[in-house]
Formats: sequence, C-alpha cells, structure tokens
Amino acid sequence: MDSLFTAAVAGLSAGGAYAILGVCAIFTYRLVAVVNFTGAAIGAAGTFAMVALFELGVPLLPAVLLGIAAGAAAGIAIGLVMTTWFAGSSASTKAAVTAALLVGIIAVGLRLTGGQHPHYFPEIIPGSAFRLAGVEVTWAAVTTLALSIAFTLLTEQFLARTRTGLQLRALSQRPMAAELIGIRVRLLALGVWAVTGGVTAFALMIIAPLRSPDFSSLSLLVVPALAAALIGAFSSFRAALIGGLMIGLLEGSVSAIGAVSQYRGAVPFLVILAVLLWSQRGARWDEAR
Amino acid sequence: MKHASFRAAATTALSLAVLGAVILLVLPKYWVFLITAVFIVGIALQSLGLVTGRTGMISLCQMSFAGVGAWVTGYLNLIGAPGGLAVWMLIGGLAAVPVGVAIGLPALRLRGINLAIVTLGFAAAFDTVLATITFPGQTSFTQVARPEAFDSDKGYFAFVLITYGIIAVVLEFVSRSRLGAAWLAVRHSERAAAANGISIPRAKLSAFAISAFISGVSGGLLAGYLGTLVSENFSMMQSLALFAVATMAGAHFTLGAIAGGMMIVLFPELLRRLNLPQDVGNVFFALGAVQALSTGETIAETWTRLARKLGPKRVMAAATSAGTLPEKTAHPGGIALEVRDLTVRYGSVTALDKVNLAVPAGAVVGLVGPNGAGKSTLVDAIAGFLFRYDGSILLNGKPLEGISATSRSKLGIRRTWQTTRIAPELRVGEYIRLAAGPISESELESLLAWFGCPGPDTPIATIDVGTRRLLDVAGAVASRAPVILLDEPAAGVSYDEAMKLGERIAAIPQTFGSAVLLIEHDMDLVRRACTAITVFDFGRVIAAGATAAVLDMPVVQKAYMGVEFEEAAE
Repeated sequence: MDSLFTAAVAGLSAGGAYAILGVCAIFTYRLVAVVNFTGAAIGAAGTFAMVALFELGVPLLPAVLLGIAAGAAAGIAIGLVMTTWFAGSSASTKAAVTAALLVGIIAVGLRLTGGQHPHYFPEIIPGSAFRLAGVEVTWAAVTTLALSIAFTLLTEQFLARTRTGLQLRALSQRPMAAELIGIRVRLLALGVWAVTGGVTAFALMIIAPLRSPDFSSLSLLVVPALAAALIGAFSSFRAALIGGLMIGLLEGSVSAIGAVSQYRGAVPFLVILAVLLWSQRGARWDEAR
Repeated sequence: MKHASFRAAATTALSLAVLGAVILLVLPKYWVFLITAVFIVGIALQSLGLVTGRTGMISLCQMSFAGVGAWVTGYLNLIGAPGGLAVWMLIGGLAAVPVGVAIGLPALRLRGINLAIVTLGFAAAFDTVLATITFPGQTSFTQVARPEAFDSDKGYFAFVLITYGIIAVVLEFVSRSRLGAAWLAVRHSERAAAANGISIPRAKLSAFAISAFISGVSGGLLAGYLGTLVSENFSMMQSLALFAVATMAGAHFTLGAIAGGMMIVLFPELLRRLNLPQDVGNVFFALGAVQALSTGETIAETWTRLARKLGPKRVMAAATSAGTLPEKTAHPGGIALEVRDLTVRYGSVTALDKVNLAVPAGAVVGLVGPNGAGKSTLVDAIAGFLFRYDGSILLNGKPLEGISATSRSKLGIRRTWQTTRIAPELRVGEYIRLAAGPISESELESLLAWFGCPGPDTPIATIDVGTRRLLDVAGAVASRAPVILLDEPAAGVSYDEAMKLGERIAAIPQTFGSAVLLIEHDMDLVRRACTAITVFDFGRVIAAGATAAVLDMPVVQKAYMGVEFEEAAE
C-alpha cells in the first residue's frame, strides 16, 4: 500500500504535465478548431532547444526562457501552415494534417537531437518540497500541479473576462464573421499557437528528466494529453485538468504493481476507451454532418 | 454495373499478372526481394485506404493490426499448426478483426476525430504490450516458414503478388457494390446516408473490420518475408508514416497503394545509395501528405486525371430509355403520412407548435411558408433526425416514435435535402442503387430517362448542381417508398427546369405510387405539382386546403408579402 502511494505521488508530476498538455489541446481545439496531434512535439522542440543551449554552456534560466521561446516559435510555424492552407478545412482534415506533420517533426527532431543519443536534462526545479505520510513530494510535482491549476484558471478567466478573450471566442465560433467585424483573425490564431507552444515546452522541460527523454517519446506524450482533453470533452478545462492528473496518478499506481507495471503505457488508451464509451451514451446527429 | 466491376477486376488482375511476369523475368534477385516488400506494404496501404480514404475515418494504428496478424502467424508457426503460411496469415487477419471492431465501436457515432485519438492511443498501448510480450520465436530465432511451393525469394514474390491480386480484385468488387457506395456516402454526409436507409454503425464497422483483416494478412505476409520479427516493425511511428503515405498517394486506389508501397520501400533504398540519412523519407512523406490534403488531390488521382487528359475524350450520354418503367408500386390507401400535434422546441424557441398535417396516399401535398416558418424542421422530425419532439407521426397509421432515421427510411419515408448531399466520387447509377437497393438495369435506365438525368456511368463530379438536385429526387423516387419528402427540390434550378420538375413531381404518384410532401418557395411549381397545400408561419399552420384557394387567401398573402392585401391594393 505504501509503495502504491509512493508511486501514485510519483505519477503526480507527470499528471500535472498531462493536465497542462490536455488544457492546451482543448485551448487549440476551442479557439482555432484543430485537434492538434503535434502539441507535444512542439513542446519537445522547445525542450530540446533548452537542452542544447544548456549543453553549450548557457546558464539555466536564460536557456529555459529561450527554450520556451523556441516552443512558441515551433507553435507559430505549425500555426502558419494551418492558417495559410487549412483555414477553411473541415476539423477532420485539420486533424489529418497535424497527424501527418507529426511524422515529419519526429523525424527532423530525432535527426537534430541525435536519435536515442542521451542528453543531460537539467532538473529545472530540483529537490524535495515536503514529506507527506512518509513520501517525498518533489518540487517538480508541486510546480506542475500548481502550474496546471493556475494555467487552467487563468485560461478560463482570460476567455471569459478580457476583450482579447471575447475576440478569441468570436473567432472560434464564426471565423468568417469575426474577420468581417474587423478582428485580426490570423494574428489571434497565431497567438494561440504561440502560447500553447511555449506553455507545453515549459511543462515538458519539468517532466523530461523523469522520462526516457528522446524526442519521439516526448512527442508521443500527445496520447495522454488527448486522453485528458477527451475527459474534458474538448470543452471543459477543469475536467481536462482533473483528467490529466488522474491519468498521471493511475500510471504511477500501475507501475507500482509488479504484474502489470510493464503495461503502464496502455493506461491512456484504456482511459480513452472508457471515456468514449461513456460519452457515447446519448450520441445524436452531429450538426455539421 | 456488373460489367464495369468485372472489367475493372479483370484489368487489375491482368495488369498485375503482366507486371509480376516482367519483374520475375527481368529483374535480379535483389530487386525482386525489395519489390516483394512493395506489395506487402501495398496491402497494408489498401487496408488503410479503405477506412481513411473511402470511409473518411482517420486510423493511426494500422500497423498495430498488422502486428496482431504477424504475432498470430508467428505463434501458429511456433506450435507447428497445420496449413502453412497461407492459412496462418488468414487466421492472423481474422484475429485482427475483433481488435478492429473493439476499437471502432466506441468511436462509431461521434465525430471522426475521436477515432484518430483512440487509434493513436491503441498504437501506443500496443507498442508497450508488444515490447513486453515479444514475438513468438523472437528469442529462439525461429524463422516463420514460407509455403513450400513459394520458398525461394522469387517464389515468395509470386505468393505475395497473388495475395495482393486477390485482395485488390475483391476490393474492386466491394467498392463498386452498394456497401462500397455506402462507405463513400458515409464519408460525404452521415445524415444523407442515413436518409437513404444506410445503417451508419454497420457501414463504419464493416469498413473497420475488413480493413483490420487485410492489415492482419499483410502482417502475416511480412512475417514470412522477414522470417523473424521485432516489435519495431509495427511501432506507432510505422503506423503514422503509413498514414502519411496513404494520404499522399491515395491508398484507396490500387494505383495509389502500389505507388505508396514503392515510396515506403524504395525511397529509403534510394537515400541509402545517395548516402543520405534514411529518416529524410518521413519528412518527405509528411510534406507530401500536407500538400495532398491542401489540394484535396492524391497522387493516384493526379495521375488518373492527367492520363484522362491524354486519352480520347469520352462523352457521357444522357440516359436513353431502354425499357419501360415497371408498374407503379401498390401502397395502402387512405392517409399515407399523418402528423399529429407535432411540437418541436429548440431551447426557448418553439419551432413547431402543435402542427397537424396529412398526406393522403397518391397525392402531392405542398408545404409553403416564409423562411424560418419551420418547414425543414418538420421534415427533420418526420425523417427521424430530431433528437426529441412532442406529438406523433404516423406512416400508414403506424406511429414512428422511437425509430431511427435509418429505419424510418427503410420503412418507407425518404427525404431530399435543401442542398444536394450526393458523394461526388459516385457515379449516377451507383447513387441510384445506393438509394433504391437492387433494381434492374432497364428500370434504372428508364427511371433516369424519365427524369432526364445523365446516363448511369456518368461521374457525379462532372454534372452540374441543378442536375444533382434532379438526381436527389430520382433517388428518393427509385426507392418506391410510400412517402417522399422533397425539401425545396427546385432551389438553385432555372425557371424552365423548375417547371419541368413540377410536371415530373405531379406525375410521381400515378407513375411510381408514392405520396409526396413538397416544400417549395416557387409558387408556379407548387401550383403545377400540388393538389393540396398547407401553409406555415412561425411554426403554426395558418391555412390548409386546395392549392388555388389557399394561395388566394389574404392571410397567406400576408405571410409571404408582409402586408395586408388591402393595403397593397391602395
């Protein structure tokens, strides 16, 4: 039991990262109508930019900031592709585009980072914060948890209260109408891509030392991220937050049970299956079709 | 139609046989070995083309299905099951089917994107599982035995080519069947497909099951090709790359599947010879897929289009009546369709308020009213597309509540849409058969001639919108349903054509036996076609009765013109 608790707490920092990624996925879906399969790959680009700078001798803080900027830039690059050629496409076409782009990004990423070649990932937030019932809770876990909650609440408030948030909601629901009343649609959309890119990059930097940190494993964290987003039905940030944390805790617990610990990677899939079966109960005709 | 299927199948089989003979006779062993892989990947690509290209669902775990097939094949090899590779790979394919169905089920009724997520999740989970359980015989280096007659590399090439040929020919038949048309219809518009009596879950699941089977077979073939397998052969990245290539090449065409297979197998070979890193291939595939998605045209389609440009121009003939139409269908007399106290609310808006309406058998009843009066909502309710309504709808006296759109369509309520929703990839004849079910060649020809539609071999993509509207009506009529609902069939049609359409609609009951509820704004058409009309305004019936009398009523004129008749006269 005690080891289970330890493992669950260890899953907490991953859960926080999943939550942030999940919230970013919903953010992208709600505001620019893209189910983004490249979300984690964008973040991975920023993370590896930070590592490269750090390995070159840049101090940690500027390296982290530049890494976040690189994540934002990668996000903008994908955003440029989407807004230039696929602004009017169906949601399913856009998803297909990001799935195809993921292949290319991982290939480029693996090449630039030397494949499985090990890198030194500095712990950005080292050390143990406190002990809870005899279990070490790391600062990394506390930070991702706090960050995920803060990011969720901030996003909600930003969309609900600010003028830019209002414009973004207009953009998401009727892009053409938003453009006609003078909202700078493209700029706003690129802004969304930049923000999600930067935030994802930072989240991945925190949890990268806990993972097998090659470019493709980090990019494929998009699976738990989308599982969290599905829990939020691609609309509720809070549900995605809780969902992401739950997936992390569940993964942590599974890895502590000897017989099934190898199958920890299957947890997001089982969550996705369960969520879809549940949410399908009252399925009705889809308006768009 | 059957001729076309046979011709296409024969062309495919013959060209594959010639291609195979040339490869076996001309190319050295090394190239034969490489090209074997082209066809194995081609089979996997065809399986992906079926779900993604044809049915419009994104599947990102196709290589996982192949992995299931390969694993089962390896296991059967290890225990020395009878039958050899040919039987093992079929069992492997069958083993992949329940996996495919289990994954397809939860994503059936919601947006296609969910399927993309669940399949990606499965690919990731399968990676973990496969890495743990490993392939049967992987640790003992047990080779998967090839069939005795095809043991050499050249022999195995022939084995793979034959398998490819069988699958391609069967797919050629299936894609031209009603099931194949149903897949395209589902991709284009689920609602329109359901309105033609197609069960959406069945169409999607059948595509997914067949696709998983084919993919499983390709896995079995790969097991025989490589002898021993590792989990990387079926990793998530392989599935993603396969998806990118299928999207770029157009894997639902035989040509596209082979082109895609060549890219996946020969591109790394080319890069290797140029001393370039082989992962550049994936970048190329990703860019190619994005390019194909942005233009909406795959490599296979581009080639076909260019080839058609070079070839002689084929003029599509209009349908000429080959025979006479069969007798009109006998439906029960009395009231065919009755709507009782129908109320529909969208939130606080009442779209329909206690509406009553009756369509007698053998009549054409008009439904008119200004925009927003609730006419299309009524059609949606009758055809089963509204989640909930109060009141009741009866077909030949039997209530329809609780019956799905697909079932209502099968029971005999057909509808058309305000904008045409025919999948452009279909041909005229395929669409009519999709809507009507099995009808004879001569009935098809004479039906098309009766409506003045183009001939059955004309691709939908080449005909104009006005003619497609006509085809909408023809499809509904061809089903011989007791009740047909036409939602503004003349919208976007020229005046002369609308008048012609009006005469045709008026003649539907005595020619085909169906009763018609016609929604239309064109009053000349309504006068010409309808014996009785009902007028809606703000969700209520404001007038009903014989056409001419009702149209002259002041309350009706006011609803349309917005002014009192007397005021207008002043």
